[in-house]
Amino acid sequence: MASFEDGKTSGIVFNIQKYSVHDGPGIRTIVFLKGCPLSCLWCSNPESRSAKPQPAYNQGRCLGLDKCRRCLDICPKGAVSPGPGKSVAMDRSVCKLCEAPVCASACPSQGIIIYGQTKTVAEIIESVEQDSVFYSRSGGGMTLSGGEPLAQPSFALALLRAAGKRRIRTALETCGHVPWETLSEAAGLLSSILYDVKHMDSAKHREGTGVGNEGILENLDKLLAKFPNLPVLVRTPVIPGFNDSEENAEALGAFLAGHANVSFEALPYHRLGTQKYAFLGLDYPMGDISLGQGAAETFQDIVDRTRV
Amino acid sequence: MRLQFTECECFSPQEKRLADLAAGVEDRFRVEHSRVFRLVERFEGQKPRIDVERALYFTKSMEKTVGQPLALRWAKAMMHIAKNITIYVQDDQLLLGRAGCIGRYGVLYPELDGDFLDRAVKDLPTRTTSPATITAEDAKIVIRRIAPFWKGKTYHEALNAALPPEVHKLTYDDPEGLVSRFIVNETSSFRSSIQWVHDYEKILKRGFNGIRKEAEEKLAALDPASPVDQVEKRPFLEAVVLVCEAIVLWARRHAQAARKAAAKEKNPERKAELLLMAENAEHVPGNPARTFYEAVQSQWFTQMFSRMEQKTGTTISNGRMDQYFYPFYAKDLEEGRITEEKALELLECMWVGMAEFIDMYISPTGGAFNEGYAHWEAVTVGGQTPDGRDATNDLTHLFLKSKREFPLHYPDLAARIHSRSPDRFLWDVAETVKYGSGFPKLCNDEEVVPLYVSKGATFEEALDYAVSGCTEARMPNRDTYTSGGAYINFAAALEMALYDGKMKKYGDIQLGLSTGDARQFKTWGELWNAYLQQHLLFLRAAFTQQYIVNKTRARHFAQPMGSAMHDLCMKHCIDLHQEQIPEGINLGYFEFMGYGTVTDSLAALKKIVFEEKKLTMDQVMDALEHNFEGHEDIQQILRSAPCYGNNDPYADAVAHELDRVSLEFSKKYSKELGIHNDLRYVPFTSHVPFGKVVSATPNGRTSWFPLSDGSSASHGADVNGPTAILLSNYRTKNYGYRDRAARMLNIKFTPKCLEGDAGTEKLVSFIRTYCDLKLWHIQFNVINRETLLKAQKDPQRYRNLIVRIAGYSAYFVDLSPDLQNDLIARTGHGSM
Repeated sequence: MASFEDGKTSGIVFNIQKYSVHDGPGIRTIVFLKGCPLSCLWCSNPESRSAKPQPAYNQGRCLGLDKCRRCLDICPKGAVSPGPGKSVAMDRSVCKLCEAPVCASACPSQGIIIYGQTKTVAEIIESVEQDSVFYSRSGGGMTLSGGEPLAQPSFALALLRAAGKRRIRTALETCGHVPWETLSEAAGLLSSILYDVKHMDSAKHREGTGVGNEGILENLDKLLAKFPNLPVLVRTPVIPGFNDSEENAEALGAFLAGHANVSFEALPYHRLGTQKYAFLGLDYPMGDISLGQGAAETFQDIVDRTRV
Repeated sequence: MRLQFTECECFSPQEKRLADLAAGVEDRFRVEHSRVFRLVERFEGQKPRIDVERALYFTKSMEKTVGQPLALRWAKAMMHIAKNITIYVQDDQLLLGRAGCIGRYGVLYPELDGDFLDRAVKDLPTRTTSPATITAEDAKIVIRRIAPFWKGKTYHEALNAALPPEVHKLTYDDPEGLVSRFIVNETSSFRSSIQWVHDYEKILKRGFNGIRKEAEEKLAALDPASPVDQVEKRPFLEAVVLVCEAIVLWARRHAQAARKAAAKEKNPERKAELLLMAENAEHVPGNPARTFYEAVQSQWFTQMFSRMEQKTGTTISNGRMDQYFYPFYAKDLEEGRITEEKALELLECMWVGMAEFIDMYISPTGGAFNEGYAHWEAVTVGGQTPDGRDATNDLTHLFLKSKREFPLHYPDLAARIHSRSPDRFLWDVAETVKYGSGFPKLCNDEEVVPLYVSKGATFEEALDYAVSGCTEARMPNRDTYTSGGAYINFAAALEMALYDGKMKKYGDIQLGLSTGDARQFKTWGELWNAYLQQHLLFLRAAFTQQYIVNKTRARHFAQPMGSAMHDLCMKHCIDLHQEQIPEGINLGYFEFMGYGTVTDSLAALKKIVFEEKKLTMDQVMDALEHNFEGHEDIQQILRSAPCYGNNDPYADAVAHELDRVSLEFSKKYSKELGIHNDLRYVPFTSHVPFGKVVSATPNGRTSWFPLSDGSSASHGADVNGPTAILLSNYRTKNYGYRDRAARMLNIKFTPKCLEGDAGTEKLVSFIRTYCDLKLWHIQFNVINRETLLKAQKDPQRYRNLIVRIAGYSAYFVDLSPDLQNDLIARTGHGSM
């Protein structure tokens, strides 16, 4: 039976976040699936991009080597060594990420954590269902996010089916860069979908995200045609110097013109993810750039105006 | 200069209003509320002054009546006050009736603390929690004229003498009982009554003359041959007659003063106002009110005179104001006698009067319990009618509007929520919560009503309850219990389980039971058993203490005025402070202090020491004894254990059991007390002083740090968001027991996560879910953490910042640094 099989299906998630009120209707729980086919320069969840679990080091939480040396003592590969000051240095090329990473479980203060854990559908749904009393009052439910949730297609679809069986409304946040068949199957299980369009020009899109936008726009077209009753929220993260031009906004508005069941939201660029780059030993590619006051609102206005 | 809010991207209206104030921009509500703004500006920021008149006249009368029946003595003292106390007519005010001087003031109740009043008066101006000033001349009156009479006569001294040694040592730190141990803390000696609500509607409808007439008829009908009638009932009824006459006399003196002021007044507009005020005071509260204005004046006289009768904990609450004022409001509106604006102005004149009156706690313990000049005269709005329909009306919404626009944190507004509360009401409630000053607090009919029915009330009575004090619910003609209960520091029980019945703060004194050396505990069962023994010892001490409280208080306190307004007291001719009132329901409570602290500590030991064996008891004890200094890794490992407030079944199972064993004890022994001595989780601000006696605990909490408050999670321990803390509360309640009382729950949101209409809508559904879960109470702080940090650094600029603390809101800058830090440390749920 499908539901029995679904329950045992497992995948890699890096967070389950309760009381989410900004992504989809009502009070929601967001399940973040790891792995993404895009590599957006501004990505605010750098821990979501690789499909595999990753070790991270948060120096702010680390007690310092004068107080604790558990990770050094326990790592079987010698990937952890004394770093500058009292901190710890992590050699990610040596780290083989043990089956059950011993450094993270030995760390008393969550200075070392592993982004990404293997969880079964049954485990996740149990956690999601804890807040069902809030969903029924607020019209909320479960949102799959990532990364790109459909990059783990069988896992994501199993999650959606399992939620449906428990009468939990579902939403999906997608970048659209997925096979149409997967997207189509998911859409049939959804109460609403949040669909990112990052740029209308394919070459620019490739510059910012690593892939062209043809497949993304084609999928969106097909989605709107095949599922006319599915509420679709198209979203654009407004990135300074990348996609915040009037021309791009107008092109998007023109694309969306004539579709009644689609809403649009411009999301202002933020830098809330920068700390996580440091935890992962990565550089933040956007530097200190920031979005001008009101730029997202302007973008929103142009799209709205052009659509009519 | 504008305030710089750099880190926050979204501000509450309160935060915006503060920024305006700092920038010198005129308050946007000033124009519509100009009179009350003028009134407020005259006393805002003043350190309260002590007015000794009430204490002096009360004492002078009591000196002359020694030996007479207590209720009658009390009524005579009230008459003496009514005749002699200075009468004030305040500029711009539309209401008459004060208990003391112009400005921010408090009065003294020497019948409570006369034994150490002389000493306290010297310390009061300089203490850190809730200081107050007194003139040198008044201080002399207190020390020479008032305090000496009360020495050897106060309830506090009688209680101190009557407590058995094993209870005394858990209660007080010194032989005289002036300093609390903060272990099994008694609260019956710093107030004459716990929070209370009068049946104000009765006064509006019948007036004190009506009650006086009833008493006179009863007096005439007494059997001259009956000793009970003559010795018990006669003095009570005579006291009722006297106190009814006293309040009417006091009101008439106000009428005369207003006429005198009118004669001198040059401004014709003000002259007319004063004459109208005089007419009102000639008519009410003796007679039934005829207009909305008279109704408001009558209620105000009643509550102010009641404040002079006794010290009611948190001061006397206001009951269901949107219900009992509504008929007057609707009639006046229909007949064109009043406008919405005028009605609001009258009510706000009352809020000003409340704000000026400070509920003065003389004892250091009382002061620590109610920081920030705490008093909360809860005004209840919403809820259901006695026949179970939704009760909201236009006045309900007017109160909520006033809460958003009036510049002070009075009155304390409480909204009753039920499963059919209309969306319009909840939307208005949510918008008011979003304003950011902590109002209204919410109380849940779906929990309170069935529970009170199970305790013996009728549905009509239970459905008509009023929120009282912090979180309690009162049925004004059925409730009959007025004694404060024990506040029990169960974090101290935990410490005693770890140190063989001793506490670091109190050195070698064997305060608790000797339960063995914790380092030798090999199983969770041994540890739990040691804790449970200390826990039950505290409960035993608390119940014994309360038994003595009940016996002793009736000999020291009477309240003829409060009794005159109570159906059962009038029916049975007995004072409300007597131990048993026939047909009454005695709703008492004891307090669980440190719920989160104890739960998290026990869960950490269970999981990390006894199940996972990551640490040994020796390691934990070494770390605790050194307050985690040099043992930070141990502290962090302990902190990583499951915590209460995360909807985590492991921690919640421990919390559920702690709740259950306490309820079971109450179920068994309450009967002997003749009351419902129920389990409650409402600490006011006392989790701060209680934390100051408890050394480091196994949840990673350092020595002397505040305990967790009420049924909220430990500081920063709730990491799963606000839905989880609600669900933890739900999971840990034992709904099968009726021996439960209120649970206070604080939630802190950042403004960003409630932004816009979408944010309001989500808050409404959050509130509906709270109602579904049958949780008793909830209240919200909607503020950016940065704002609190800035207010701490720059109190002058933020002197208007209002925050929700316990069951009440207060100025942030009035709080002690400890409590400010406590508030900042509470987890804020941001936009996720």
